[in-house]
Amino acid sequence: MAEAPASPGGGSHESGDQSPRSNVREQDRYLPIANISRIMKKALPANGKIAKDAKETVQECVSEFISFVTSEASDKCQREKRKTINGDDLLWAMATLGFEDYIDPLKIYLTRYREMEGDTKGSAKGGDASVKKDIQPSQNAQLAHQGSFSQGVNYTNSQSQAQHMMVPMQGTE
Amino acid sequence: MRQAGTYSGIRFGGGNGAHSLPLARIKKIMKRCGSGDEVKMISGDAPVVFAKACELFIKELTQKSWTLTLQGKRRILHKDDVASAVVATDVFDFLVGLVSDGDDYDHHAQNLVPKERETVLEE
Repeated sequence: MAEAPASPGGGSHESGDQSPRSNVREQDRYLPIANISRIMKKALPANGKIAKDAKETVQECVSEFISFVTSEASDKCQREKRKTINGDDLLWAMATLGFEDYIDPLKIYLTRYREMEGDTKGSAKGGDASVKKDIQPSQNAQLAHQGSFSQGVNYTNSQSQAQHMMVPMQGTE
Repeated sequence: MRQAGTYSGIRFGGGNGAHSLPLARIKKIMKRCGSGDEVKMISGDAPVVFAKACELFIKELTQKSWTLTLQGKRRILHKDDVASAVVATDVFDFLVGLVSDGDDYDHHAQNLVPKERETVLEE
């Protein structure tokens, strides 16, 4: 129920602005080309221009990158008899596959993300209670979604840092 | 009903550090990987890691491609530059088939099982 048959979900607005390259739904295979394009532009000097075919190629490469790293992480999880792929598995996979330069920035990013997740819920009583209300149900939906029928506990155990994210939810009342 | 805000609307609690890529989409692509029974569950922080990792990946690939654009005394980054950057960079070896086989390749790319991909890498 939490997962209605994959509606375009996160990005619904961008599928129209690109040529259809295949029969498979674009939104299942690629990240939105508008986002890709934005990141590419940031990497270039102001006068740099990017052809559409280059954007599409990078778009395909990114999906391949995700699959490539996910496969490696998934293999690791299978070897260790774990069912959930977590962020640390991905970091490990990237390091293994030669992307060790990404690890430090990713760790920093992840730490900041976790802090912010904690902050949002912890400080919600401070004033923006509406934000809190919005977030909590979606967090629950996310948990249900991830844990499927096994248990949400799995999620919490899989990464110790995530536990502090959970505390405010259980402890506020 | 599906909560639209789970991944798309609320990013970093609406703070300044919004993800530049949609997490729900990333997750979908992760799930497409392999035969399906491999990736069973994905923890909440995994798409977050990918949101940033993909950004780093796109930047690296773009900058390397742009260097080649400039070397060719051109001002517009084209697909060929991306392809050349992939060929010239070791860590991008897994993309060689994708960029060199033309437009049709991506139809197969998604069906490529990891085993095959590893073989390609080892060669």
